[in-house]
Amino acid sequence: MKASHQPGVTEFADGEASAAAIDEMIGAAHARLVHDFAIVRRPPARVGVVESRLGPLLAAESPRGLLALSFLDHSDGGATVAAIRQLFDPVEDRAVAVRAGAEIDRLLDGDASAVTGRVVDFSLVPSPFRRRAFQRLRTVPAGAVVTYQALAAAIGAPSGQRAIGNTMATNPVAIYVPCHRVIRSDGSVGNYGGGVDRKLMLLRSEGFKVDRGNRVPAGAVYGHWLSRIFCRPDCSAVRRAERRQWIIFGDAEHARHAGMRACKLCRPA
Amino acid sequence: MAVSNSIELPPPFEEAVARHEREIMRFLVRTTRDREDALDLFQETWLRAYRAYPKLDSAAGLRPWLFRIATNLCLNRARGRMRRARVFADEQPDIGRWSASANGDHTAVLELKSAIAGLPDKQRQALVMRKFGGLEYAAIAAALDCSPESARAGVYQALKKLKAATER
Repeated sequence: MKASHQPGVTEFADGEASAAAIDEMIGAAHARLVHDFAIVRRPPARVGVVESRLGPLLAAESPRGLLALSFLDHSDGGATVAAIRQLFDPVEDRAVAVRAGAEIDRLLDGDASAVTGRVVDFSLVPSPFRRRAFQRLRTVPAGAVVTYQALAAAIGAPSGQRAIGNTMATNPVAIYVPCHRVIRSDGSVGNYGGGVDRKLMLLRSEGFKVDRGNRVPAGAVYGHWLSRIFCRPDCSAVRRAERRQWIIFGDAEHARHAGMRACKLCRPA
Repeated sequence: MAVSNSIELPPPFEEAVARHEREIMRFLVRTTRDREDALDLFQETWLRAYRAYPKLDSAAGLRPWLFRIATNLCLNRARGRMRRARVFADEQPDIGRWSASANGDHTAVLELKSAIAGLPDKQRQALVMRKFGGLEYAAIAAALDCSPESARAGVYQALKKLKAATER
């Protein structure tokens, strides 16, 4: 700031300026602001709401990717917008939500490619642990699930299943980060931020046929992440291999679709 | 701007602030009485407000909030200037309006300054804005987040204390 030790000696000695002078000064100030503003400016985030088959959805997109997707009937949309505001300048754009709604419709009709192909921006996830969990979870294909325990082990926290539970509860980008594909180790589907009914609906439409007791179905097979081999749950290989390597497919068909081959020991269907 | 019935987006910063820019600039001109200082403080106010905008809950509070930022910057500037004036006063007693008004009486100036520095925040701010910034009571009230009567009382109390302090 300019240091003037002689206040009151300039053109505004009486402290008043004409309207024209004020306008001229605002123009001058803005001309000088351009440079500094470019430095501190937050990127834009386009925010919209749409009524989808899964109920009202709030979607937000940054220049880098999908930022947020939440069920408005199960979450506080105002809080989501407030969180977005801290890092972005929100602007209204319904098209963002309409596009997300259409992609989710395709997922519900059995085509997951639109959802998995979308780039997700994890700016709203400050914790590196949570980011890792979400990124790893995105590699679990439609038609498969992982347990909280296996996901925790997969990102280097073998006894972090509770932490994974809390992490999933804070998922900012529902569906696109498929936290509905995380279930309990006892085989029951567990909870969901958008309501258990939605979790079941999503899993069933993806081809993971949850049984009547909301548990992993009888025909489920275990896929080994690294070797790309799938086994029956009672196969001796399942007992031997590391826990973190297993993802659970609803049936052998989906495991094959994910590029895995059947185990030669237990010969799953 | 309502995205839906349940979600309300805050208005874009530039749009929201544009409505108050002239008022702010007028306030700064009146307070600083200097074109360059007013421009500087205007930019500073604008940038600070932009940075803090996510923390502002409702757009309705924008105007007083902007004035609060502008006022704080004015006070910072006045404080820095007072500090500098103090240094100058030690070396050259006749620089600045402080010493000029005291007719070069060095000790009286120092006494007055320390008396002002010892005033409670609100009274000192009100006094500075009124007597050295030449603001109206309404403007001081807006800046200090109080009623015009309270601003007037603050200046009165400050003067009373200064009088007592300098007459001792």
